[in-house]
Amino acid sequence: MANIRATPVEGDQPDRWEAQLRKGALEMAALASLWRGSLYGLEIIRFLESHSRLVLAEGTIYPILNRLKAEGMLTSEWVEAEAGHPRKYYSLTDAGRGRLRLMAEAWASFSQGLSELLEPVMEMKESKQ
Amino acid sequence: MTQEMQIESYLTALRFNLGPISIADREEIVREISSHIRDSAEKPGTSLASVLAGLGPADKLASQYRDGLLIHQASRSNSPLVLLRGSLRLATKGIFGTGVFFVGLIGYLMGGGLVLCAFIKPILPANTGVWFDGGGHFMSSGVLFPPPGSSAHEVLGIWFIPISLTLGSLTLLFTTWAIRTALHVSQTWQSKL
Repeated sequence: MANIRATPVEGDQPDRWEAQLRKGALEMAALASLWRGSLYGLEIIRFLESHSRLVLAEGTIYPILNRLKAEGMLTSEWVEAEAGHPRKYYSLTDAGRGRLRLMAEAWASFSQGLSELLEPVMEMKESKQ
Repeated sequence: MTQEMQIESYLTALRFNLGPISIADREEIVREISSHIRDSAEKPGTSLASVLAGLGPADKLASQYRDGLLIHQASRSNSPLVLLRGSLRLATKGIFGTGVFFVGLIGYLMGGGLVLCAFIKPILPANTGVWFDGGGHFMSSGVLFPPPGSSAHEVLGIWFIPISLTLGSLTLLFTTWAIRTALHVSQTWQSKL
């Protein structure tokens, strides 16, 4: 699966635009990674890398998890691990699940609308290839 | 420098830069980042330098924590000081934040000024009020030293107190509501497309 990394185009700033896009989607992605159960920070990063096209700096996710916890979207607990040090596991709260559902609905509607809009652009790209 | 010393050095810098966050929250953050570093560095073929590079400089990582928490706390606070601090933090992120900060600052100065005038009126009745000239044109308002001359007349009298108090309180309430709303909106922008 290809990562979302833009090829710079002269006179354009796709990297910056994509960085904003990724940043905007990151909170939803972090919540979504916890939908099926508890994970600790590094597992969330690896989950996002393997299950989505989101490649993020590792330092980005922790402040977001911290804020989501402060907002009551997540709970956390320290669990002793075989590695010899405890790990902080995050879980979704009911409020977190509710917010994620709303975000998922908004995202699906938004992306479907944009896909329809971009369909001619993509068709043109395919015909050129 | 050994690996352990490098980790401790990074965590010390992180702890130091998390300054305004409560000690309990600070230690929890440091503990989690420590756990992340140790977990990541255990992966075969991964160097400690690359793990620390992935986290970014300690001061930048701390700043992300501080920004997120400060804006979140401010968006739920009624304290003008906390709200202004939150909006000041937002001001460092762009024009929207700068606008919010200045609107908040002006709003609190105006509201506070009106409330203060209401309290000064009983103490300095001749110097405090709203003045019009003989032709019915507005001249000045507030607390004036010395008071306007005999050509001006103060129109509100004792009513200045409740009117100034009400307008001041409404301005303070509106400013608080406006900043909190702006901070909520900024959080939404951060979290949605």
